[in-house]
Amino acid sequence: MFKLNLKIALRNLWRNRIITSINVGGLAIALAAFILVVMYFTYETSFDKTNPNYNNIYVVGRIYPDFKTNYTSPPFAKAIKQNFPEVENAGITKRGFFEFTMKNGKNTLFAKNFMQADYNAAKILDLKPTGGLEKPAGEVDRLSYLSEESMKVLYPNKTDNKPEMVGMGSSNSGITSKINGSIINNLHSNITFDGISIGNEIGQGENYGMNNYTTYIQVKPGTDVANLEQKITKLYRNELLKGETDQKTIEEIKSISTFLDPLSNQHLKPKAGNDAPYKILIALSVLGILILVIACINFTNLSIAQATKRAKEVGIKKVMGAYRFQLTTQFLAEIFIQCLFATVLALIVAELVLPYFNNLFQINLSVWHIDNDLIWQLPLILCLITLIAGIYPAIVLSGFKPALVLKGNFSTSKQSYWLRNSLLVFQFSIAVIFIIGLFIINSQLKYMRSEDLGFTANQVVYIKNQTLFNNPVKFGSLNFESVRDKILKIPGIKSATVATDVPDGAENGTNGYTFEGVQSSLDFVDVDFDYFETLDIKLKQGRFFSQSFSTDTANSAVINESAVAKYGMKNPVGKTIKGCNIDYKIVGVIKDFKAQGFESAVQPTIYTIKNPCGNYKTQIMLKIEENKMADALATLKAQWPQINPKDGQDFRYEFLDELYGKLFKKQEQLQSVFFAAALLTIFIAILGLFAFAKYITNGRIKEIAVRKILGASDIQIFKLINRSFLVMVLLANVISWPVAYILTKKWLETFAYRIDLPVLPFMSSALITILLTVITVSIQAKKAVKANPVDALKYE
Amino acid sequence: MKNRLVLPAPSLQGEAKEVSKYLIINKMIELKNIEKYYATKGIKHYVLRHVTTNIKQGEFVSIMGPSGAGKSTLLNILGMLEEPTYGSYEFMGEDVTTLNERKRIELYRNHIGFVFQAYHLIDEMTVYENIEAPLLYKKIGGSERKSRIADLLDRFNIVAKKDLFPNQLSGGQQQLVGIARALAAQPTIILADEPTGNLQSAQAEEIMALFQKLNREEGITIIQVTHSEKNAQYGNRILHIADGVVKDDIAIA
Ligand SMILES: Nc1ncnc2c1ncn2[C@@H]1O[C@H](COP(=O)(O)OP(=O)(O)OP(=O)(O)O)[C@@H](O)[C@H]1O
Ligand SMILES: [Mg+2]
Repeated sequence: MFKLNLKIALRNLWRNRIITSINVGGLAIALAAFILVVMYFTYETSFDKTNPNYNNIYVVGRIYPDFKTNYTSPPFAKAIKQNFPEVENAGITKRGFFEFTMKNGKNTLFAKNFMQADYNAAKILDLKPTGGLEKPAGEVDRLSYLSEESMKVLYPNKTDNKPEMVGMGSSNSGITSKINGSIINNLHSNITFDGISIGNEIGQGENYGMNNYTTYIQVKPGTDVANLEQKITKLYRNELLKGETDQKTIEEIKSISTFLDPLSNQHLKPKAGNDAPYKILIALSVLGILILVIACINFTNLSIAQATKRAKEVGIKKVMGAYRFQLTTQFLAEIFIQCLFATVLALIVAELVLPYFNNLFQINLSVWHIDNDLIWQLPLILCLITLIAGIYPAIVLSGFKPALVLKGNFSTSKQSYWLRNSLLVFQFSIAVIFIIGLFIINSQLKYMRSEDLGFTANQVVYIKNQTLFNNPVKFGSLNFESVRDKILKIPGIKSATVATDVPDGAENGTNGYTFEGVQSSLDFVDVDFDYFETLDIKLKQGRFFSQSFSTDTANSAVINESAVAKYGMKNPVGKTIKGCNIDYKIVGVIKDFKAQGFESAVQPTIYTIKNPCGNYKTQIMLKIEENKMADALATLKAQWPQINPKDGQDFRYEFLDELYGKLFKKQEQLQSVFFAAALLTIFIAILGLFAFAKYITNGRIKEIAVRKILGASDIQIFKLINRSFLVMVLLANVISWPVAYILTKKWLETFAYRIDLPVLPFMSSALITILLTVITVSIQAKKAVKANPVDALKYE
Repeated sequence: MKNRLVLPAPSLQGEAKEVSKYLIINKMIELKNIEKYYATKGIKHYVLRHVTTNIKQGEFVSIMGPSGAGKSTLLNILGMLEEPTYGSYEFMGEDVTTLNERKRIELYRNHIGFVFQAYHLIDEMTVYENIEAPLLYKKIGGSERKSRIADLLDRFNIVAKKDLFPNQLSGGQQQLVGIARALAAQPTIILADEPTGNLQSAQAEEIMALFQKLNREEGITIIQVTHSEKNAQYGNRILHIADGVVKDDIAIA
């Protein structure tokens, strides 16, 4: 029996091969998208999962009344381990805040993140130096490792695992450091690094004020974490309160608490941090599921379209002695064959698309590796889609009563009319939402690219530099003047400046400033002369910094419009603003510029040349004439060791516009994903519609023939066939508009600077879907109209 | 060749045994006060009322009557495709209304063969496969299946058509396949709704002759609906139906 059914199923599929391939192809594409989403989902949710103690590791963070942070101090971890027996181990790590330059002969490595960890943390985090994790010998001894990739850069031909001495800084610095070996830098982990230095204890002598470390604890299985959290909070307060007498400080300490955040949360939704990656992942999963469901609906709708015919088969087989479950399995088997085929195709498609996908999300997934979870996920998905796609024929069709179907003019169209139309409307609604979403994302991105930023990033070169140019001199920093003079001698370089921050979206430091008795916190950026000129920032009142005013290096300040607004200043130029024990004189007000991109509003900011409470001034920016850019950069590279001897011979730069452009990366990702999703849903829905319309018109050929004989014109028949489809598409638009409106509005609200919700996308989506529908249906209708009525009626 | 018939169950062979069987299942079908109505908008439209009759094993009954009289409905009730709205129906001594789906399908597999007014072949299957289908459900072995189908193809003169699909056959040929399919499972009773409706008279006569032979030589009970007085004469009993009741019940000598 099964063999015959299989044979007939295959024969059927072959006979309807166009429709079959449309359906299977559509499903394959949707499935490919879904497979990618599943792989991505698995990847994103399994960071650090290879750690044997994955479920028992927590990050200890602190909660202040107005913020949460993962940064903690070295003594805290020790105190936790001493006090609580359920804490098996506690350790700390510290990120590398500096970029190290390491050398081996001609090979240079720029280690952005040279991390530090104590031995306990290394054990908790399952760090794996080649040859195994060793305990450093003494109190102060360190074992330093380079990630395998970094090691390759410095020692491309190294095959042993012997220690090496590497040069630090420029080749004439004379400083060397011992590297004990290489270490696996697991990119699928929250702890990544270019190199790491492990000591028995790090941060010795640092107190509770030095919150530059991350504390990891490993608890015993079955520990009551909520309870432990409370106990740790108590411990933390007690530690801070030791010897504290100032009543105000005591009150403040009592408002601080701590939290334990599982290792599994760190990648997607850390308690101290944003959960945007998590939201994106969920959104992506929803997209994937929707696309798959839409492809499955094609199957169901086709089953419905074929139902009248299949119902007869059901009736006959039942009176010949078939049980219902035999028919159910037959239908499921038919769908299963197609789904299986689609799955194989999908794997191929996924493999082909994977490079683009990896590139877009900056990851490295692959289909073909042994421990791929797809091995068990795929069969599951296959069964699932078989069920979704086959549920209608399996349950409804198989249940038909033979008497009903075998008696004369049986037609299933009435019973399934609602189901099939609602499914079509659903498909198109989703497509419409995607189209609208795509249009709106596009407009917002276009707006972001074309909107005046308030500064010009074009032709501004940002030079990575390690020399400090603070003024007054701080920690052995240099004066920028001599460097600037040398730089400006190069033809084509119009201006040069140095600052603590460049407008690349990064957050600035904040500090408290008092103006006319009102204290408030302001962002501060410490700059040098020509900062505003280099970035082409517009002046509103007063003047920029200028070398002709000797006070500018002492106590002049420039503020932006937002700062003026924040204090409600009137005629601020010439007035005094106090901060860091300096009475700054406001010499100018600049127009706001979007240093942080479009998502957050421009912060009230103060610009000063002198700021003892500030950060390191290391970020050099040059404005270079467009047509002399290449020459100027070449000259800079050649002369850099003379221009800026302390930075070494490594001239490294980036174009500010590219750097700033990275701020749009997330949105561009979203745009690509939406583009793909919208295209896919429309494509798959149209495929389904095409097949569906084919069946419907085939079923109506007799009716059309009769109408033609009765004198209907071709146009009237086109209208007749298109009408019901048009109604459905219009309905789909009407249904999805409010949904799309709410969703896109929510998305736009994540931007401080955004477009008004336009009407055009809503109109366009209607137009697009209607047009596509009319074209698709008319292609089918044409055949029916062109057919000779006699042929259609011959077998009456 | 024409008389190389498929052998039915041995118990039905031979005069003496046939008689004894005939006595045991005196009442193969027993209808009591069968009523059937369709309710449209709360109004009952009676198709059948108070139909009471018995049909014995080995009878060849023709149901006749004007169009819309309820002939097909009655046949459907006999074939358990439809349920009567009132009355009792016993098939081989079993109350049909209490039969579950599985039992009913067992009856289809082993006892009942249908021939439909509209042929109802499965369009996706070839002639051969259409005839084979009931045998597969009955789980009959491969070689046995082959020989039975070969026999039937042969008997109905459609060997050349065995690999064609129903839409490649004429209406009459489709009807032949429909009858062959009904006979394949060697049913004890055949329910046929205008089996010769689309056949030219010579062919119709052949089919009727075949029915008569099946009935006489193999003891197969046959109930057919027909409009033709001539076809009815092949049987041994005519039920005239009009306005939902049995108007006449005539035995043919
Ligand atoms: N599902 C139904 N709903 C309402 N009325 C029905 C239904 N099925 C059949 N009927 C009615 O039952 C009556 C008998 O139908 P039936 O098919 O039994 O007639 P028939 O005697 O076989 O006629 P014909 O000789 O034309 O085949 C008809 O009047 C028909 O309209
Ligand atoms: Mg009838």
